[in-house]
Amino acid sequence: MTKAIRLHAFGGPEVLVYEDVDVPAPGPGEVRLDQTAAGVNYLDIYHRTGNHFANLVPPATPGVEAVGIVGAVGAGVTNVKPGDKAAYPLTAGGYAAARLVPASALMRVPDGIDDRDLAATYMKGLTVGHMLNDLTTFAPGDFILWHAAAGGVGLIACQWAKHLGLTVIGTVSSDEKAARAKAAGCDHAILYSKENFADRVREITDGKLCQAVYDGVGADTWLDSLKCVRPYGVCASFGLASGPLPPLGFADIPAEGFVTRASVAAVVRDRPTYEKGAATFFDVLKKGIITPHIEHALPLAEAAEAHRLLESRKTTGSLVLLP
Amino acid sequence: MIKAVVLHTPGGPENLSWEDWDLPPPAAGEARVRQTFAGLNYVDTYLRSGRYPLATLPVVLGREAAGVVETLGDGVDTVRVGDRVAYSSHLGGYAEANNVPADRLVSLPDDVSDELAAAMMLKGMTAQFLVRQTRPLGPGDTLLYHAAAGGVGLIACQWAKHLGATVIGTVGSADKAARAKAHGCDHVINYNEEDFLERVMALTGGVGVDFVCDAVGRTTIEKSMQALAHHGVLASYGAASGQVAPETWAKMPPERFLVKTTLPGYTKTREQLLAAANDLFAVVRSGAVRIEINQRYALKDAAQAHADLEGRKTTGSTVFVI
Repeated sequence: MTKAIRLHAFGGPEVLVYEDVDVPAPGPGEVRLDQTAAGVNYLDIYHRTGNHFANLVPPATPGVEAVGIVGAVGAGVTNVKPGDKAAYPLTAGGYAAARLVPASALMRVPDGIDDRDLAATYMKGLTVGHMLNDLTTFAPGDFILWHAAAGGVGLIACQWAKHLGLTVIGTVSSDEKAARAKAAGCDHAILYSKENFADRVREITDGKLCQAVYDGVGADTWLDSLKCVRPYGVCASFGLASGPLPPLGFADIPAEGFVTRASVAAVVRDRPTYEKGAATFFDVLKKGIITPHIEHALPLAEAAEAHRLLESRKTTGSLVLLP
Repeated sequence: MIKAVVLHTPGGPENLSWEDWDLPPPAAGEARVRQTFAGLNYVDTYLRSGRYPLATLPVVLGREAAGVVETLGDGVDTVRVGDRVAYSSHLGGYAEANNVPADRLVSLPDDVSDELAAAMMLKGMTAQFLVRQTRPLGPGDTLLYHAAAGGVGLIACQWAKHLGATVIGTVGSADKAARAKAHGCDHVINYNEEDFLERVMALTGGVGVDFVCDAVGRTTIEKSMQALAHHGVLASYGAASGQVAPETWAKMPPERFLVKTTLPGYTKTREQLLAAANDLFAVVRSGAVRIEINQRYALKDAAQAHADLEGRKTTGSTVFVI
């Protein structure tokens, strides 16, 4: 018997109930992970409320990433062994003290990485690594545009992109967030409520535009994002926070620009890609190039409070749950 | 006064008339080219019929020609009088002479004839940017090329094969299938007889291809998207079957790249223009890519040439002898 947060129906934070659950012995290809820290993402709120992004059907345990110690492995598992520290992204069931995880989602964590730091950044870091390393190539000083630069993913992106020698343009919603993005390495922060970001990008880059544009916002920004990519550069949609992408007229497609949708799912799906992506992220995390900012580390039982904090938009850093 | 094929009103081939044309002296930055050969391209028929709008009328069509520099406007230092040159950037090919911005002219090596240049400056340069720049191909890569027996297709498929790629071409007839096979295609799909997507997936073991070149548009683009492998690139550089509906672009599967490409987009600077042209000349001189000039017409017979092209009676490249 162990403890987990269970969701029996969609609803407010109160539907997150702390309960006893059974974790059976791992089957073939499965691993029992005794978890030490679980990440809290905005996606978890969609899962809880059952909105259009949801693919979680109650009764279920929300949470999609965590770190822990391997307790037992099922038949055929070779990538981890009992006693290893391991982490996984993008696998529902994370708000638990212990759980079964497909071994294919698990990566052994090298020494020197703090469990909470990793739980707070793993999925975001894999996402940023995929965006910056897998979609295009850069020359030093190239411009990139990253929307929501002061968000959880955005701050990691600013730090990592700066480390790669890029010039980072970010969009933010307030002066306070602009300051935070700048502290993380954002060279130019655009307040999108006050100015048209596409016009500003054109000014900042002296008409050269960006080698890469990363858009996790979707409906509200996509058509203008396409105006910010230069020929032979890439414009990537990796999230739909404001709604689905609008239809795209031929004239909206930037000439000689590469337009794509990309997500961390593609990294995790292919083991060699996942291993490379994880190793790259572990490296920048260990070296301190990415510095997680954990604002709240709450006991697992207080998952509902974690959701309240996240939904209040008052948090400026990451949230983790501790079983 | 020179002779030219002039279009006064968009319409059928009969609207192309062979007549006197007043060509002013070259403006500053321009060179007058005494033309010896001009190329015929499908885009010429779109401009003639009105499917693609023209900014001014009357106009001399033709976007591909070669000849000798005759006079220079002020400030020209990129070419000299007497240079053999070719271009693919400006209208006015169907004429005895044309004024062209001098920085758009490419000097021809001794062993590239005027006729050869006129047959490949637009089609070959298009093939160049596709297989060498948009998605540079090499051993292990797989290309799906639509209309593989067309003017650009025959060049692009030979080139892709030469670079080591596996080439899958689509065609519309058995005749064209044979021609595509003889020009670099490892596999040819007759889209009138079989579903190209199913066949591509079977040929690639369900993986899809690294690069799709699609200038067909409406009728093919959706399946072209689905034929892409992980991180594959779909180049859209024309819409012979009609424009693609906006909803369709949203159907691009994730982790694939869509790119809208044009030759002007890859030849913005003179350096880019010369690099692409020299790359084309080199591959043609090496013999790896053959430019087949299968039809020759006198310029005054432009109407007949258009009728033959639209009637699908031509193959490979067609040139006007001026």
